Amino acid sequence: MAKKILIIEDEKVLADLLRKRLLMEGYDVTVSLDGKEGFELLKKVKPDLLLLDIILPGIDGFEIMEKMIKDKELSKIPIIIVSNSGQPVEIGRAQKLGAKDWLIKAEFDPQEVIDKVLKQIGK
Amino acid sequence: MDIEKDKKISLLLEDLSSLESYINDIFTFSPLPFCFISPAGVILESNPSFEKFSGFTFDEIIGKSVEDLFDNEIIEKILAQTEKKGIFVGQEVDFYPKDKNNLIVQVFAKARKDEKGNFLGYFLGFSDLTKVKKAADNSRRALMNILEDIREARWRAEEEKNKTLAIINNFADGILVLDSKNRFLLINPVAEGFLDIKKENIMNKSVSEIPSLKNLLGAKKKLLFRKEFKIRDDLVLEVTAVPVAREKARIGTLIIFHNVTREKLIENMKTEFVSLAAHQLRTPLSAVKWILRMLLDGEIGKLSKEQKEFLKDGYESNQRMINLVNDLLNVARIEEGRYLYALALTDMEKLISPILDHFKEYCQERGVGFIYKKPGSKLPKVLIDAEKISIAIENIIDNAAKYTLKGGSVTVSLKCDKKNNIEICVKDTGMGIIESQKKNIFSKFFRGANVVRKETDGSGLGLFIAKNIIEAHRGRIWFESEENKGTTFCFTIPIKKK
Repeated sequence: MAKKILIIEDEKVLADLLRKRLLMEGYDVTVSLDGKEGFELLKKVKPDLLLLDIILPGIDGFEIMEKMIKDKELSKIPIIIVSNSGQPVEIGRAQKLGAKDWLIKAEFDPQEVIDKVLKQIGK
Repeated sequence: MDIEKDKKISLLLEDLSSLESYINDIFTFSPLPFCFISPAGVILESNPSFEKFSGFTFDEIIGKSVEDLFDNEIIEKILAQTEKKGIFVGQEVDFYPKDKNNLIVQVFAKARKDEKGNFLGYFLGFSDLTKVKKAADNSRRALMNILEDIREARWRAEEEKNKTLAIINNFADGILVLDSKNRFLLINPVAEGFLDIKKENIMNKSVSEIPSLKNLLGAKKKLLFRKEFKIRDDLVLEVTAVPVAREKARIGTLIIFHNVTREKLIENMKTEFVSLAAHQLRTPLSAVKWILRMLLDGEIGKLSKEQKEFLKDGYESNQRMINLVNDLLNVARIEEGRYLYALALTDMEKLISPILDHFKEYCQERGVGFIYKKPGSKLPKVLIDAEKISIAIENIIDNAAKYTLKGGSVTVSLKCDKKNNIEICVKDTGMGIIESQKKNIFSKFFRGANVVRKETDGSGLGLFIAKNIIEAHRGRIWFESEENKGTTFCFTIPIKKK
């Protein structure tokens, strides 16, 4: 069975790109463009990996991570955050909240995405 | 016997005559007026000077009462005193000549007595004080005039001072004046407001006694020129200190405080805007990068050679935009002071290695030689923000490689200098920097005129960013260059001892 990835990302273009790329690699991909909706989906979909944007309408990425830590099941899901700025401050904080890896939005490299996803959950 | 008597008499008469003549001469000559008065006050004799003063002729004046020429009571008193004491000296009285205005004179009198002591009369003389009086009057008047002038000058000076004080007190900038011993001489209301001190509390105190100011002005107040200080959250001041001199002697210091809070605010707004705009641009640029990458890699289907070429141009163009936006963001971050982040002990040789590999390849592609001079011995680790220092090194080597023509060479050297600094030098045999433009080389957006002609692409931010990074590490950057011969850029980073 294909591994499931949930993408919570408010920029449609980017979300689309990620989805298409990951689909090509054979993953099962769900996308949410909104933080609140995305969080609900977490429980429904129970993905193997979460690609989480930090800056979101509604509740932001950090809040979602904080909520996930508190939930027994959700805290097991590995997170790769998608950072806007790549600022060390932002990444440092995300790591403290349990992010395993990060992608910098402005410097997307399709290969980099695949590599990092593979690293977390394999094919 | 009779002949001798006659002779004696004759001689005596001759003497008498001589004497008479002598007396007469004196009498006539004397410029001082005097007369002889009978005990009853009648003028019996008068010398020509007396006549002249009185305005009467000889005939008129003889037989006149002296009281006609003076105030009755006054002259009576004088004559009485003269009779009693024998002499009278020097009272100022009025003298009334015939048809003229009265004079003020100083009267002298002497009583004449014969051998038996009988009172014969008085000698009365006077000296005219009119001229003296007039001179005294003139002097007094002149003095009064001078006093008047002085008073007016003082009044004008006060007015001038008041005007100046009014200007200083209403000046929009803060003004502070210190004397040669750094004590407060003057402070205007705006400065009081800025520094939160009251004039009464600081007058004549030395600067060092007021702690808040001591920190602000420090010891080198003479060297301040438009230096910015943040006083409070809502107050940023630009401070200039100027020596005040009079005739080459320094008599104090004038310090001017200019409120630049608003300017700073606007500068911050501008930086924030740039930051925001650049941020917003990054994502769509990345999306385009990704899409083109995917197309070029053939992941959306096979491409013809021509299609590939076009897309490649698009990709490179997009990449240039991404680089520019990143540069702008870096500049904005530098200006916001949010730049250095993760300081860590770093091995410079390890840090520089990938950069060297990248540029070696780049230079080889362009027919430019690339040489690396290793450090003689192992370098100590240095506390730096590795990512930022990398950017600085990359920017400098990028310039060297970009602006050196085919056949030239780029040499990078890394070492530890005698003063315990890491030193990196990048030497090229490229286009060099025009002499007149050397002073602008580190300015934001500055690009040398000669290189712009060669390569129109370039943000002009590379060296600005590099300099900021190096100076934030308390290092130093400098260069030497000759047009069309080459340029050498060097910078040092101090190795701080823990």
